[in-house]
Amino acid sequence: MTTVAVGYDFSDHAHRAAQWAAAYAQRCGADVVLVHAIGLREHGEPGNPLVELAAVSAEIAAGAGLEESRVRGALDYGDACSVLLRCASAPIDASLLVVGTRGHDAHAGLLLGSTSLEVAEHATIPLVIVPTD
Amino acid sequence: MLILGGPGSHEGHEEEGHPERPERVTAVLAGVGDLDLAGDLVRVEAREATRAELIAVHDGAYLDELGAFCYGGGGDIDEDTYATYDSYSIARATAGSGLAVVDELRRRDAGVGLVVTRPPGHHALAGRAMGFCLLNNVAVAAAHLAAAGERVAIIDFDVHHGNGTQEIFWNDPRVLYVSSHQVPLFPGSGMSKEVGGPDALGATCNLPLPAGATGDVVARAYEEIAAPVLDSFAPSWVLVSAGFDAHRSDPLADLALTSGDFGALSHFAAQFTPQPGRLAFFLEGGYNLQALRASITDTLARALGEDRASEPPSSGGPGHDAVVRSAALRAAALEAAHDTKGTP
Repeated sequence: MTTVAVGYDFSDHAHRAAQWAAAYAQRCGADVVLVHAIGLREHGEPGNPLVELAAVSAEIAAGAGLEESRVRGALDYGDACSVLLRCASAPIDASLLVVGTRGHDAHAGLLLGSTSLEVAEHATIPLVIVPTD
Repeated sequence: MLILGGPGSHEGHEEEGHPERPERVTAVLAGVGDLDLAGDLVRVEAREATRAELIAVHDGAYLDELGAFCYGGGGDIDEDTYATYDSYSIARATAGSGLAVVDELRRRDAGVGLVVTRPPGHHALAGRAMGFCLLNNVAVAAAHLAAAGERVAIIDFDVHHGNGTQEIFWNDPRVLYVSSHQVPLFPGSGMSKEVGGPDALGATCNLPLPAGATGDVVARAYEEIAAPVLDSFAPSWVLVSAGFDAHRSDPLADLALTSGDFGALSHFAAQFTPQPGRLAFFLEGGYNLQALRASITDTLARALGEDRASEPPSSGGPGHDAVVRSAALRAAALEAAHDTKGTP
């Protein structure tokens, strides 16, 4: 089964990317993993992002008409770029990466701070950058 | 004698509510003050690292972009890392103060160095800022020494793996990188099987530890795994990436060390210096100000030959099995890498 990994930081841009990935997965029979990077500061913060990811996954699956089991969340420690690049390897073994154009951290026109452009520069598997309406 | 360096003015690098804050320097300097060094404290004047000195470890395009970003007003680089208008200048002065401290140690052939860095450096990659870090201060100093023919060991006991330092020297046999850190934790790297590139096999030595590990476990990892590697490498310099966020009171991680444990780690690092004036500490993390102050005092006291500890060493935590497993995984990774290279 093909796996599509989506960078998910709970921003509107990431949500749009997840919706696109789910629609794509519905057409080609893929599974979707919403991947959230846990940074330095997030450690020890209240709340459980895995629980939040599970709720988002269910919503995304329902919106695309997918079985709930075909969209799931995953956590990994690191900066967003490194975490997304690692999705090409086990345990996720994604064959496609999907990101939004801008996350919480982006600065228009600059490579610095743009996860999408950093991933595009270093990705070893195909990457889709989903524009926000 | 303590040779003390830092960026001088650093208050311009600040973001409201961020744990990497100017008060950390105040705590470190208070910890130095607790040593009552009087005439044995030498302050080294800060200078900005030159582009040539920085480019030994960082991409020129990254330096250009970081400078432009800061002078354009700065902002958040990622969810952890910020920069202000002043940050590039402060980061260059921080890296430069590391160079000034090692040059002063070399000139005197005496003393122990302390570089009070802001921002810290060990997560900074050759071409990317991350994890609160803009420029990799310890790497800039190590590259400076290596270019002068020195064999440099970097011992990194920050609770987070120094992925930037590891990446920069991954395939450089002149620099040995040893790191103890909590796993799993940011930045997600630093596994035992990461042992260095083809030209520097074995010159990366990772000691991953589980949450809750205490000083006895960390000491065992250093004694059983790192000490033979350091002995074999025979460094002419030892630089320490001294993060104090492995302290049990630190809010950003879950190891359970005390200030006395940092003293023991300092004593361990000092053993591998071949002569006086070849040991320097570079501040990395540490976000509980009281713990930072006590840990700095105990670390420097032991490095300066004084046997004191504000808190007793800790013991009884988990992780002895992880140390045994780490040793086996490292040996297997080295064997596999040598087989791939076709060497015995």
